[in-house]
Amino acid sequence: MNLFEKIEPLLLRVQKPARYIGGEPGSIMKDKSQVKARFAFCFPDRYDVGMSHLGMKVLYAVINQRPEYWCERVFAPDTDFEALMREHKLPLYALESLEPVKDFDFIGFTLQYELCYTNILNMLDLAGVPVWQRDRGESIAPIVCAGGSCACNPEPIAEFVDLFFLGEGEEVDLEVMDLYVRMRDAGATRSEFLKAAAQIQGVYVPSLYDVSYNEDGTVKAVTPKDGAPATVRKRIIENFDKCPAPESFVVPFSEIVHDRAVTEVLRGCLRGCRFCQAGFLYRPFREKTPDTICDQAKKLIDNTGYEELSLCSLSTSDHSRIEEMMDGLLTFTDNEHINLSLPSLRVDNFSTGLMNRLRRVRSSGLTFAPEAGTQRMRDVINKNVTEEELMRTCKIAFNAGQTSVKLYFMMGLPTETDDDIRGIIELAQRVVDMFYEMEHRPKGKPVQISCSIATFVPKPFTPFEFHPQDTREMIAHKQKILEEAVAGHKRIRASWHFPETSILEAVLAKGDRRLCKVVYGAWKRGCIFDAWSEHFSYPGWLESFAEQGLSVEFYANRPRPYDEVFPWDHLDYYVDKAFLIRENEKAKQAQTTKHCRLQCAGCGVTKVTGHPCFDYGKAAPAPSGTATN
Amino acid sequence: MVPVRATFEKRRRAKYISHLDLMRCMQRAFRRAGVPIWFTEGFNPHAYLMFPLALSLGYESGCECMDFRIDGDMSMEEAMTRLNSVLPPDLQILAVAAPVRKHTDIAFADYAVRLDCADAATSAEALRAAWEQFHAQPEILVEKKTKRGTAQVDVKAQAQVTDVQTAEQALVLKLRMPAGTSVNVNPGLLTDAFLAWLPEHAPAVRTGMMHAERLAILCEDGTPFA
Repeated sequence: MNLFEKIEPLLLRVQKPARYIGGEPGSIMKDKSQVKARFAFCFPDRYDVGMSHLGMKVLYAVINQRPEYWCERVFAPDTDFEALMREHKLPLYALESLEPVKDFDFIGFTLQYELCYTNILNMLDLAGVPVWQRDRGESIAPIVCAGGSCACNPEPIAEFVDLFFLGEGEEVDLEVMDLYVRMRDAGATRSEFLKAAAQIQGVYVPSLYDVSYNEDGTVKAVTPKDGAPATVRKRIIENFDKCPAPESFVVPFSEIVHDRAVTEVLRGCLRGCRFCQAGFLYRPFREKTPDTICDQAKKLIDNTGYEELSLCSLSTSDHSRIEEMMDGLLTFTDNEHINLSLPSLRVDNFSTGLMNRLRRVRSSGLTFAPEAGTQRMRDVINKNVTEEELMRTCKIAFNAGQTSVKLYFMMGLPTETDDDIRGIIELAQRVVDMFYEMEHRPKGKPVQISCSIATFVPKPFTPFEFHPQDTREMIAHKQKILEEAVAGHKRIRASWHFPETSILEAVLAKGDRRLCKVVYGAWKRGCIFDAWSEHFSYPGWLESFAEQGLSVEFYANRPRPYDEVFPWDHLDYYVDKAFLIRENEKAKQAQTTKHCRLQCAGCGVTKVTGHPCFDYGKAAPAPSGTATN
Repeated sequence: MVPVRATFEKRRRAKYISHLDLMRCMQRAFRRAGVPIWFTEGFNPHAYLMFPLALSLGYESGCECMDFRIDGDMSMEEAMTRLNSVLPPDLQILAVAAPVRKHTDIAFADYAVRLDCADAATSAEALRAAWEQFHAQPEILVEKKTKRGTAQVDVKAQAQVTDVQTAEQALVLKLRMPAGTSVNVNPGLLTDAFLAWLPEHAPAVRTGMMHAERLAILCEDGTPFA
């Protein structure tokens, strides 16, 4: 049932209607009578955010490349359109066919941040699909699934979702769709399908696991049933260089956050920064060759017509052949009036050669992330960046004519003192001083150092998962110190946010299955778009916690002992808990760990992959006894 | 260098593309199509594309204009074929030709506006009668947003109603409005005034959706802009 006639009368009554009608170049149309299964890929946030997400473009291409499957896009309607949808009983629909999402075989959500959880409930409700998994009955469709980084601890939404994809989805998504088609055609029920799907590596079916709790509220045990595996291991793409990348994107009409062609250059990260969840979740480190990157980028530019190309990775300057790759890209971007942008650069390997290549294409300021203001603090978090390196990098940038630099920091890190907080502004001031000491500094514009200071959120699968988050009072105290420290520093701008969203993020990141009722209660109280400050309602969440007799502090501010059973302990992301404990102990001593290319830290990845991540030669052999699998 | 004036249509899903977004959409289409469009010179070169007359969001049209220059060895017919293969089906080029008139020659635009009855309780005849009564007023003053705040204009004096018809459960108006680089009056000004007038003067008449289409862009002498 095509809803065009129902949608159209509402469109001119809402902001940016082009977001709700599809039809963009690059969107893939198929004949639904010719496909065996339909996948509604839902991004639980607004169109302009979701359309900027590379993962969605990758999986959209992977599924649609199979002629028998059709993947379509779905986003959360903004509140003005949602009100009209509810008033006119217009169900949530997908942007390609304009048909209701509830008629699809799969409704898949990508979980990029914890504060989107209430949007998932809202979208299911708008679609007319029961939000609780147990209410969906035995007919096999639609299967509600989810994947993405937050799937590493999906317990706070486990009771809304039929199955989770752990790790990289390029292969496992299709395996699950293949199984679905076979079983549906044989007349299987939902629970029969879910039991069978749980046998595929990378598939977690929460309804097949019982969770019991100790009297103090911590998890006692997670018990599998119906033959589900005791631990579920994530999936990775072994040969990343040969892994198909999207050759085209859906090119939106309306402006989105990142409106450009994006090519992935490497996956995983070799740094091991102890606060960074992505750095552990996406291991092992794998890169594409410069040839592959250039081919894929060129195809993408040709097929999308974008005037800007961006490289995507956790740390682009860690690519072992970055200058070769940049030279290859610049040969065609220069000729074709394409801007090339490189986010995610590090200060410790940012060279003049790289700066010169960047200089030809960008005019905007540079951003670096020292993350902490003092060397001691940077050693605790294993950032492995020295002040000299930061100064050297800023100098390269100033020499190239830049006058503004943006620096990212965190506050609330483990072992942090008030001096570490003051150190942020002191460090920024030393950059300013260095600028004025330069003989050939850029003239005309004054130097501007912008410091953005985020509240640290301890996350699962990091060495800091054991740590409590700073309380609201502690964060307020540190923000006051910042305010005092920055006063009078004309060339430094410091910005930070109210801590409530970070607190909720910590709760949901490390929460257990009992939080499902809290998420539901918050949504019922009208909490949606929690990641948007203009929508975020902390009181609604607090009421919902109170209703369930649960507290924010239990989840966010409680130190967790090494022997506690964590809600995510039955999920295996290749990284050993023993390694995380070792790293946490080193953090307490402010001891650093070398990055993976210099020396294997024994995180556990090689036990699964069966081979070292790098060719260490004779200089630094990997620890023995790692290849057991 | 070959100057080209393309006539294109904007319908169904494509009618919700705003004017600003259309510029970006077309620039990207040229790159996808591999049409060697001329780039402006200077510090920040960009593809040269001109739209002489913006179309309101939500309006359909089969007579939109876009000017560009081909900078290379390609015929304008080839450029059209290539562009159409990379543009969405609701946004297609219908003709290409060398530009004849200047942008400043544009003086009028013709529109067809179809106003639906809300439901069976309102007949097309009742809607038409209400319209006749509304339009018989000596003047119809509306607030018009300008660059310097708002101004009161008599939209009746500006809009020529060239035809009034009833269709099945709808009223169909044909309007000729001032258009161009200096004066530009949207037919929505008149229809919005009508919709605002209805509840007080003909409360029984309830309207539904409005469909608007631009039929032609005209010069002062009434000939189509080409």
